[in-house]
Amino acid sequence: MTLSIDTADVPSFDISDPFFSASSAAVAAAREQSWWARTNFGLAVLRYDEVSALLKDRRLRQGSFAWPAQNGIERGPLSEWWAEIMLSKEGDDHRRLRKLANPAFSRKLIERMGPEFRALANELVDAYAADGGCEFVSQFAEPYAARVLCKLIGMDEARWHDLSRWSTDLGLSFGVTIREHQGLIEDALQNLYAVSEELIADRRLRPRDDVVSSLVQAHDAEQGSLSDIELLAMVSLIVFGGMDTTKNQLGLAMQLFVEHPDQCALLAERPELAANAVEELIRWNPTVMWATRRTTEDMEFGGLALPEGTTLHLLSYPANTDPLAVGEGGRFDITAERPPHFGFGGGAHHCIGHWLARIDMREALPLIARRMPNPRYTAEPVVRPVSGLTGPVELPIAFDRERAV
Amino acid sequence: MRVVVDEQTCQHHGQCMIECPRVFQLVSPQELRYQADVDEALRDDVEAAADACPTMSITIEG
Repeated sequence: MTLSIDTADVPSFDISDPFFSASSAAVAAAREQSWWARTNFGLAVLRYDEVSALLKDRRLRQGSFAWPAQNGIERGPLSEWWAEIMLSKEGDDHRRLRKLANPAFSRKLIERMGPEFRALANELVDAYAADGGCEFVSQFAEPYAARVLCKLIGMDEARWHDLSRWSTDLGLSFGVTIREHQGLIEDALQNLYAVSEELIADRRLRPRDDVVSSLVQAHDAEQGSLSDIELLAMVSLIVFGGMDTTKNQLGLAMQLFVEHPDQCALLAERPELAANAVEELIRWNPTVMWATRRTTEDMEFGGLALPEGTTLHLLSYPANTDPLAVGEGGRFDITAERPPHFGFGGGAHHCIGHWLARIDMREALPLIARRMPNPRYTAEPVVRPVSGLTGPVELPIAFDRERAV
Repeated sequence: MRVVVDEQTCQHHGQCMIECPRVFQLVSPQELRYQADVDEALRDDVEAAADACPTMSITIEG
């Protein structure tokens, strides 16, 4: 029998409620009862196998492509940017952009930057190590994420504050307040475009071995090259996509270290566990709480009839921590071998910058564990709701003296 | 050259098909079909597919 999304007896959540938490006991209980739940804005998918299959099902498209229009923004810079970015494209148009951009993010290219990332992490910790404490978001997570991006695109690192602010402002475009913040968002976009234009013009004249040069030079016999507007959209999307995600994910890592001092100490002793620690961190504390998809045709999935135009929120935390994926009673364990998590989404829209995120965190996490041992809060952390893009806003911490190497 | 996909680690994201649809076809979210013996003329595209695979499941022999 095929169930209807309107009448099936399943749990229900209000995902725009600021107290809704995708990592709550209520969501875990719902996951036991049903693979999906009803929300005030489409369906929420809760289990590992269903999230995995739906991320890759080509009867669905990325779900936020019409977000500005749905909020009454149908012309102007924000609307044009949104239409241009790779996230909004599908099929051959998406394939063309992705093929031209993929080489700029290859693992080999990013891995070469590892020593620079490590030096940056050391520099940031050096600044407060003697104090035995810091506000981790503003003193580590934010400058680290922003300066990694400056290095990636070859922008002056002294301007990292600008990059961080513009990116955060642009991020408001994904929220429910997009209309109210339209002016702020479009200012940020204009600033990002101005910096990107300079970089693109410079790399055309003086190509380097970097991401912007790779994008400028990208050429394929069938796919051609990126146009000026496509290059601008791509560079701004890179900055936007890499900034708050990494900042939040590092803050979430510190929260896990405070809550699991044994795991923090283990990583300090065994830095070779860094790659697995990053995967385990994103599994238990993902900053991207969901990927959104929309059906492009009437379809059936998992015994459920999904009409064309149905929005599905594929919730990363409940799927990542489904007993199917972590076993009964699973917990944060940097030595555990698990099936992959969904922190980078999946399918055609799988995060293009995943190697950057993985490699910059593989450098940062063991260094933090070693140089900031036994971290604990000195005041209550200030946190965002556990929905959309989540992570701490302020994390005041103290730590023990650094271990001798 | 010979192409090998590790079916244990392949997660069917389909990035290989974006890079080289002549060799890689994701026929469903659970099934990838690919040519194992590939003409040398497609080497660049197959190498791009191996590079773009998020799970590093593609190896090229020869």
